[in-house]
Amino acid sequence: MNAGAGIGLRSPHLAEIARDRPATGFLEIHAENYLATSPALETVELLRRDYEFSVHAVGLSLGSVDGLDEAHLDRVAALIDRLQPTLVSDHLSWSVAGGRYFNDLLPLPYTEEALQAVVRNVDRLQERLRRRVLVENPSCYLAFAHSTLSEPEFLAELVGRSGCGLLLDANNISVTAHNLRLDPEAWLGNLPASAIGEYHLAGHTVNEADGEPILIDDHGSRVADGVWSLFDEIVRRHGPRPTLVEWDTDLPALDVLLDEARRAGRALGVEVEADARAA
Amino acid sequence: MNTTRVAIASALAAALVLPAATSQAQGNMEKCYGIAKAGKNDCQTAKSSCAGTSKKDAQADAWVSVPKGACEKIVNGKLTPS
Amino acid sequence: MLGLRDLQAAFAAHLEGEDRPSLADAVMGDTISAAARLRIHRHHVAESLATALAATYSTVQAIVGEDFFRGMAKAFAATDLPRQPVLAEYGGAFPAFVARYGPAASLPYLADMARLDWALNLAFHAPWRDRLSVSDLADLPSEGLLASRVSLAAGSTLVRSAYPIDRIWEASRPGAAAGRVSLDEGPASVIVLRRSGDAAFARLCPAETAFVEALADGKTLEEGAHAAFAVEPAFDLSTTFARLLALQAFAALQHES
Repeated sequence: MNAGAGIGLRSPHLAEIARDRPATGFLEIHAENYLATSPALETVELLRRDYEFSVHAVGLSLGSVDGLDEAHLDRVAALIDRLQPTLVSDHLSWSVAGGRYFNDLLPLPYTEEALQAVVRNVDRLQERLRRRVLVENPSCYLAFAHSTLSEPEFLAELVGRSGCGLLLDANNISVTAHNLRLDPEAWLGNLPASAIGEYHLAGHTVNEADGEPILIDDHGSRVADGVWSLFDEIVRRHGPRPTLVEWDTDLPALDVLLDEARRAGRALGVEVEADARAA
Repeated sequence: MNTTRVAIASALAAALVLPAATSQAQGNMEKCYGIAKAGKNDCQTAKSSCAGTSKKDAQADAWVSVPKGACEKIVNGKLTPS
Repeated sequence: MLGLRDLQAAFAAHLEGEDRPSLADAVMGDTISAAARLRIHRHHVAESLATALAATYSTVQAIVGEDFFRGMAKAFAATDLPRQPVLAEYGGAFPAFVARYGPAASLPYLADMARLDWALNLAFHAPWRDRLSVSDLADLPSEGLLASRVSLAAGSTLVRSAYPIDRIWEASRPGAAAGRVSLDEGPASVIVLRRSGDAAFARLCPAETAFVEALADGKTLEEGAHAAFAVEPAFDLSTTFARLLALQAFAALQHES
């Protein structure tokens, strides 16, 4: 994949994208929205002929102590076989415990024990898919007192032990750094840069907890100015990568999303041309 | 074959050569559920996650909350217990 | 210190509304307390599942309004969390929950509207293939046609109600005319179907309902016809059967080898 900027494909935009085929670097879908068959999946399969795709899973629960749900893994694998996406990713988090799915990207303690669990799950995922996957840094609202590693150290160990790549979400770094009182630049310093396979950008909102401001990763607005600055710094340090603009809450008109992706492309030093779609 | 069976067989066979019914059939259905509704999984955090009350409160609130929507058009719907 | 298994179990309990001191002790608090930080996740789970249910049960939400719906959906989610991550497949037990949800008792038709929403969701996610076509039956002799058993295609569901669910559905569309629907209009049944690009439903009269119900129960076309004539002696078998074939409501015949 050339290091252009693409957009998260959201179903309210699907018909318009299928009709107009706008120029954008690539399209990313959430795996779990296309595991059951539907007219939407049929449309995505048609779009696959004209666009490169990234499949971003949100429910594999890579941090579950119980291991991966093999039935769910089979369904994700079948989708990836059908779409042959350029990139496959999920998050450094967990969502499943005791057979219940919480629909949240829940935080992990950064301990050797948790690292071994994530490595085991990522190994299983990569073995099942027969490809490298990217693991995304989460937005954190809390940290565990017994963590022994920083998040970037944890990610670096994960990369070293599993051979996975990283999906670096600049907005999540900002959100986590603000909420956990960390320095985002220092956070960046410890990453294994060569493992980064994709960047994410999204908007966040400022809310309040105990009367204090807390950043919520709601994907409901344009990318914040501070996140653009951080993104510039990331690109300066680590170079361009395929970059995705995500928008989920209060989804805007497609043009707004495409415009945000063009801005990301300029930050990467990559202009999106009409012929930038996949051949 | 008795006359009833002949009549049923003829009616079924006639259905197989009734092209006009096709358009009539399609015409009386409404588009209900299109691809704009396909995505339910995402990876954001709900904007209102900091607000809200406990689940216990939410259940108590439900009893004082009143349905307020299209139900107001459904008459004999007993909006208030009668 | 909590091991990972205990931590995830305690976190899961927290998300289900049970406060575990061992979990709060493991979370770092500062000017924002550990408890406030943990609550963000508890609220997110409830809010996001209510949002997913609102997408599946959009007619129910239109009928009761967003505030009431979210209260009802969160009460459901508190007792019935997803068992797997695909949210389009979550909430099959919601219609039964609505039926016994006390605050909605004044809307006796609401659970049937939820069943209609769920049937549309299932139809939308049904495969669009292996449908019975006219040509599959065209070469059958009369006896063969009478003895044929055609079953409903994947995603085709008969929804029967004591209430005019099709009219209530229309009245709850965004921008629907201001006219009222009376429950005195009586029972209705509809067949919900996958179509090529969406899911939809069509109203069936009582005789058509009896015909479809018999076929769905594995009866032959002849038996289905008798079931319909028992309801309405003037039943128009040709038109109904042609219409159902045109809607691709039936599954392709299973050829015995």
